Amino acid sequence: MLRILLLAVPLLCAGNDETLATALVQKHCLTCHNTTARMGGLVLDSREAALKGGKNGPALIPGNAAASPLVKLVREGKMPAGGPLLGADRDLLARWVNAGAPWSAKLTTNERKRTDLTWWSLQPLRQADPAATIDRYLIAAMAAKGLSPSPPADRRTLIRRVTFDLTGLPPTPEEFDAFLNDNSTTAYEHLVDRLLASPAYGERWGRHWMDVIRFGESHGYEQNHLRPNAWPFRDYVIRSFNEDKPYDRMILEHLAGDRIAPSDPNIEVGTGFLVAGPHDTVNNSNEAAKRQQRADDLDDMINATASAFLGLTVNCAKCHDHKFDPIQQADYYRMAALLNGARFADRELATADDKAKYKAAIAPLDRDIKEVAVHLDVIKKDAAPHLAEQREGIIANHRPAVNALFTEESFPTAEARFIRLRINATSTGGPAGLDEIEVWSGGSNIAVGAKAIATSTRKADDDTEAYSARHLTDGKFDQRWFAADARPVNIEIELPRQQAIQKVSWSRDRMGGFQGRFDGPIPEDYRLDLSLDGRDWKEVASSAGRIPARPDKLEQFLLLAVLNAQDRARYNKLRAQQTALQKRIAAVTKPPTAYIGRFEQPDTPIYLLKRGNVMDRGDIIAPASLTTLSQTLPAFTLDADAPEGERRLALARWIAHPKNPLTPRVMANRLWHYHFGHGIVDTPSDFGYNGGRPTHPELLDYLAERLIHYGWRLKPLHKEILMSAAYQQSSAFEETKARIDNDSRYLWRYPPRRLEAEAIRDAILATTGKLDRHMGGPGFHLFRYTVDNVATYYPLEKFAADTFRRSVYQTAARSVRSEMLGQYDCPDSSLPEPRRIITTTPLQALALLNNTFILDQAGYFAQRLEREAASPAVQVERAFQLAFGRPPEPNESAAALSLIRDHGLAAFCRALLNANEFVYVM
Amino acid sequence: MNRRTFLHDIVLGLPSIALQQLYAGGKVQPHHTPKAKRVLQIFCPGGASHLDLWDYKPELHKRSGQPMPGAAEVSFQGRNGNLMASPWKFVPRGKSGKMLTEMLPHLGALADEMAFIHSMTSRSNTHGPACVMMNTGFVFEGFPSAGAWTSYALGSENENLPAYVAIPDVRGIPPSGPANWTAGFLPAEHQGIAFNSSEPIQNLKRPHSISEQQEQATRDFLSVINQSHIAKHPGDTELAARVASYSLAARMQLSAPEVSDLGKESKATHDLYGTNDANPLLAAYARNCLLARRLIERNVRYVQLYCASRASGVDGLLNWDAHKTLKADYERHCPILDRPTAGLIHDMKARGLLKDTLVLWTSEFGRMPTHQEGTLGRDHNPDAFTAWMLGAGVKGGTSYGATDDFGRKAVENVSNVHQFWATVLHLLGLDHEKLSFYNNGINRRLTDVHGEVIRDILS
Repeated sequence: MLRILLLAVPLLCAGNDETLATALVQKHCLTCHNTTARMGGLVLDSREAALKGGKNGPALIPGNAAASPLVKLVREGKMPAGGPLLGADRDLLARWVNAGAPWSAKLTTNERKRTDLTWWSLQPLRQADPAATIDRYLIAAMAAKGLSPSPPADRRTLIRRVTFDLTGLPPTPEEFDAFLNDNSTTAYEHLVDRLLASPAYGERWGRHWMDVIRFGESHGYEQNHLRPNAWPFRDYVIRSFNEDKPYDRMILEHLAGDRIAPSDPNIEVGTGFLVAGPHDTVNNSNEAAKRQQRADDLDDMINATASAFLGLTVNCAKCHDHKFDPIQQADYYRMAALLNGARFADRELATADDKAKYKAAIAPLDRDIKEVAVHLDVIKKDAAPHLAEQREGIIANHRPAVNALFTEESFPTAEARFIRLRINATSTGGPAGLDEIEVWSGGSNIAVGAKAIATSTRKADDDTEAYSARHLTDGKFDQRWFAADARPVNIEIELPRQQAIQKVSWSRDRMGGFQGRFDGPIPEDYRLDLSLDGRDWKEVASSAGRIPARPDKLEQFLLLAVLNAQDRARYNKLRAQQTALQKRIAAVTKPPTAYIGRFEQPDTPIYLLKRGNVMDRGDIIAPASLTTLSQTLPAFTLDADAPEGERRLALARWIAHPKNPLTPRVMANRLWHYHFGHGIVDTPSDFGYNGGRPTHPELLDYLAERLIHYGWRLKPLHKEILMSAAYQQSSAFEETKARIDNDSRYLWRYPPRRLEAEAIRDAILATTGKLDRHMGGPGFHLFRYTVDNVATYYPLEKFAADTFRRSVYQTAARSVRSEMLGQYDCPDSSLPEPRRIITTTPLQALALLNNTFILDQAGYFAQRLEREAASPAVQVERAFQLAFGRPPEPNESAAALSLIRDHGLAAFCRALLNANEFVYVM
Repeated sequence: MNRRTFLHDIVLGLPSIALQQLYAGGKVQPHHTPKAKRVLQIFCPGGASHLDLWDYKPELHKRSGQPMPGAAEVSFQGRNGNLMASPWKFVPRGKSGKMLTEMLPHLGALADEMAFIHSMTSRSNTHGPACVMMNTGFVFEGFPSAGAWTSYALGSENENLPAYVAIPDVRGIPPSGPANWTAGFLPAEHQGIAFNSSEPIQNLKRPHSISEQQEQATRDFLSVINQSHIAKHPGDTELAARVASYSLAARMQLSAPEVSDLGKESKATHDLYGTNDANPLLAAYARNCLLARRLIERNVRYVQLYCASRASGVDGLLNWDAHKTLKADYERHCPILDRPTAGLIHDMKARGLLKDTLVLWTSEFGRMPTHQEGTLGRDHNPDAFTAWMLGAGVKGGTSYGATDDFGRKAVENVSNVHQFWATVLHLLGLDHEKLSFYNNGINRRLTDVHGEVIRDILS
């Protein structure tokens, strides 16, 4: 407000201009132009420094705003990098410089780095007390807060809790009974062992991991096409958890599986991690945009790697040094250089054996085809002089090739009411498309507005007329008809009345607007027929006599024309052999591919991008370890042109180094987070200044050490946590303790929580008896998928049995939240989601009450009860066991029976699936 | 029936905290006195041409057909030809005499209400990322949209309807689809609920197979088992909150169909919007406009209304992406936008809604002053585009910033998406630097680490 007032009255004393102008410099310039960052060699903390200037000379010329780069760049909007200044502020700067740029106070950057290499999470793990246990740490911390733990939970609650926790599924009534009837002291331990050994464990914890690493099965961005073969990576994650693969090994496989086990598909597939994120597939002609797309790809990989394994927000150092953590801007680009060989693409995923088999099967064919090619080349070479001589003549003796811009056929005047274009083949073999067909009678196009139909037309779901044949006769070249596929297609035009016709013409890109990018499938083999009645047709023209449109076909055509009969026969025979061989090669089953990234030695090095701007390249940055851990861990630097695979391997080894304090801390904390609903650090992918502080730092180090002690295997660490009294205690609420620690971060009770989206859906299927436990393979879709340039996903309204598999096998299309799962906070995999936010909303209630899925499942549940229990009373009993793992209370039973009597079993089942008790774990 | 269930819950003693948790109450105390209480954002996806709608460039008209000074440029789709004048005349509108295209006569008549920002710039030249940039402040997907931030900050004033509604066009969803109204990393309750006058909220209706009596009996039984569960777990307010969410759902089931029922509007109103127009696309958009007013009237905090949709196999067909045939494309799109939108604004004004509602018109980027080589269309131009605001707190009849002589680049008071949202939040009583939410290492903002309030357009 004050500023506006001052600007409105420019005659106010100049001292204010000084204050305001230097404040602007401090706010907008000093971030980059300070004594540490020295962007462009320029420091703007004092008048002297500004006059001294940087690489491009002085920033200020007192008294001459017009000649002062600072004023000029600001006026042009090129500075500040963070976004242009308002006009009034620009005027102020100019006025201040013209007034001599008075500047008495030295400026200091107010964005002091908050942390340095002494930050807690960067320090080596503390040695644990040999007598330490999880409970000891917890009780000590509680005591300090005046808290104490709760008594053990009852056994029904405990088995339900631990079963959902480890498998994402409810215990069956039989499992309840077995546990409740097992009075041995080892009953619970056996239960934990059984659950950790269950394949459902990998499905549950694999899903957690896929949250952390933003695994999605479509490209995201505008086109968002599916990645139909991304699922092998999902299966790999599940398998890795079930096999209890050591975590340090998993890191190597995620970043460099292809290097540590080339041709072992079970391990190579791990690199799917690098490309599990979004990737913009839109073609861009603009250079800056192309660079930006690649920079965004790298940014995604850097963010995924640093946040998942290290709990570091390296991505915050893209444009400048990290504002809070000791991560240099160069560190960001060091990591980019380490990952620069990875591309978002499919890669062959096969055993050495399969690859060898394929090679072996192809080799003789390959040899033969090469031999044929040699013979063909000889003929070509011999004919070359003749061809050169006769080329022009042959072309002149033929009709021109068809092209995208315009093709016409003239014929002796004929009476017709119906015109038919039979397209047998296009120049490239793709589906035909035309923007217009004109029918000429005495110099005028009489087809405008005439009825046009095609035997095949592409359809867009949300705009069925988009590619309609009516565009062929609309008199305009803006919209096009497209055939649905590449098979032969007929177009028929019906004129309002019979007329005399001399010519028909058509085009694919009449305006030439596609600059040649649209020259693809032009009708090349076609016939043109006329008819008076639409039944009896007479061919009046065809593509015969035209030279081919595609250069390679043209060369072959010319060659054949100059060969003598004998050579032509030989040539044709060889060509036939070649085609046959090509077919045989194509028929050999190729080794499978998967969306696990393609690796190639980068042709462009990594530059430090000033302010993250892809068009403003600084020094070349060599692949190297982050300086962030330079005091804890041996550092490495590779040559700028080191083999790209070496780089990824070096990064993986550095992350999984036994002395790296972040890697085990971050993973141990993730386990804790999912077991208790919150981590010891409550920001599981951020162990920096902006993240949470550990509630129990010693315990965290203890757990991290245990992880390493167990050989980086997770299952023993799970078990140690699950065997703690803290995990087995009751969740009963106590007001006095809640006043001290409402969220039970100190674990004075087990924190109750709502199930995640997938667990709710899977529990419904398990309860109704419909859950299909088939593991692995291509996922099922909870959407109808259509592609018309961009992909559109429509939520399913009917659910067939192939969707009754566990939710982890649902094809996770990016930014598409399937309604059931999405409403219940299932992430859309656009960004990593190391901690799901749990919400409670009316739309969730509507989804669980009214979605077809629920109604169907309520029906199946009712059928199951009818099968498994004879009378309504027993059915109610069974239903409570299945849904809640307990018998009903008398009042619940009575209410249930009355509901069943009046409205049937399915209504009762629908209510149970909506109950709090069904979706909460206590 | 639903009222009974709700009262039933109250009688059973739901702690008030449970209801508070659910009413999606604002998480932020306003930082200063707000001018606007709610927002209507009209979005024309596809890169609506500033040069053919809002930004008059006499020099472009004069030198049409001549090469643009400077090096030839390769933009999104490729090479560009010479300068190309707009196919339409620009005419003075309103008392301010603002020069606007003749193609938008109805909107033009509102020129004195509008504050134009002619110097908008974006960070992407591609529809998907640029749409998401315009709506979330970031080119990457996964960040909360402005509507979600508003819902998060200010909460709902009508718990029977979603706080944030997105109204996609009948022609489909915009580029990048739901990422334009996502809650990103904000709690899911703040995501835009997508529905329009032809597609209702998903799962809203009680299924046909279930009678009203059965629904009620089922809910009553659900209440019995929930209460018995709550009784065993006293103190866990989340449980009561979830019960309350079912009551809210029941109320939404009554309110949402009511708001979508356009039958109660007068014929005069229907005519004003054009809901019965012979052009089915115009009529469909008009109905969405009418729906938007009814939502705003019922205190929905943020309504995002789309006019046009995604990129199809034909540029400029389904949206404003006029690469090849600008004239034909805009002759299709302009009438659809013009009368219904103007009708909506007139109607809101007549009902006093503009006093505390902010209306925004946005697109993701502008277009080139040159024609695309070999076409009569324009390629993408992220270096210059126009947005406007009107209504609460906005100084009508103003124009802020300017592009160069041809409209190729913003050169005067260059502004951007972050300044735009900083200004919108300011009008809502919010300081864009203070409205933040922690995610992955940083307290994220709608304005990233940028933004300045554009004070010149404030009343």
